[in-house]
Amino acid sequence: MQNKLSFHQSSASIEIIGLPDYSNNENKDQISIISQWKLTIVDKPLIEGKIEHLKPIMDAFYTYSNLLIKNEIPIYESKLIDIKADNLYIHNIVLKSSKPNVKPLVLKIGNSLLSDTINCFDQLNESPKVRIKKTDIATKMPKKLRFRLNKKVKFFNFFIPPFIAICSLVLFSSSFIYFYSPFENIEIKELINPE
Amino acid sequence: MRKSYVTNNLKLNEFDALIRITVEMSKYLYPYIRELLKSKEEIGENSVIWNDFNKRFIELIKERFNIDSMRVKKLLNQAENDEIITKSLLILSFCISNQGYQKLKNFLYDF
Repeated sequence: MQNKLSFHQSSASIEIIGLPDYSNNENKDQISIISQWKLTIVDKPLIEGKIEHLKPIMDAFYTYSNLLIKNEIPIYESKLIDIKADNLYIHNIVLKSSKPNVKPLVLKIGNSLLSDTINCFDQLNESPKVRIKKTDIATKMPKKLRFRLNKKVKFFNFFIPPFIAICSLVLFSSSFIYFYSPFENIEIKELINPE
Repeated sequence: MRKSYVTNNLKLNEFDALIRITVEMSKYLYPYIRELLKSKEEIGENSVIWNDFNKRFIELIKERFNIDSMRVKKLLNQAENDEIITKSLLILSFCISNQGYQKLKNFLYDF
């Protein structure tokens, strides 16, 4: 008897079917060996597949949503799935079958369905009852960014005060050029005391 | 951008607290956010819900932001602010999970 778990968010739901890994002393209601999954989006054809398809599809949705938000060109292309934006509100999804002679499935979803689907994947990722290789594209802060942030703060704290000090010194002292001219003084002295 | 003559820097714990409040509010308001996003999907249709939201958004901006700033003027322009509002709503709608706090923080750091 296989276990079934469903995660719902408004118009989208994902169903995971599989078995617990008894060799790891897991509970009866746990799912570690996924045999099938189904993604249902209202008014759209059913999307289903094997475990090896689930992770790339989840990654595609996460990467695409990140691109969409970060003002980058929102295009994701892979062997299994392509996602492109028609405009800011409509997204084109092309699901390619691994079987030969099967036409790709084309879906058009709006922002509301995209966010429902992402939230379903979030629930699946966070569920303690399903053990899958977690997708952490959206939650993990890139190391590069962390480094950049720290470095930026440190750089500014370290260099900005002396830089401003030097600039103000240069500006302040440049104004004295108009007040004191040593050459003119020497010439005047020479005129007064011609020897 | 704020209508204030005092420049107080936000402390890290205050920044964290604001993110937590925002995430909790977006969880609570998700059906409304979703409806707003959906209202823009029908091409060429100016929905009542979106217009009401946009009107209130502009009212609040005028009330609390420095309207002489160019960036704020962009927010007030109804023809230009659609993209900013849609992206902000999308960010909020992606952050309603238990890890929403971390997600929103990362989105903001990436901005």
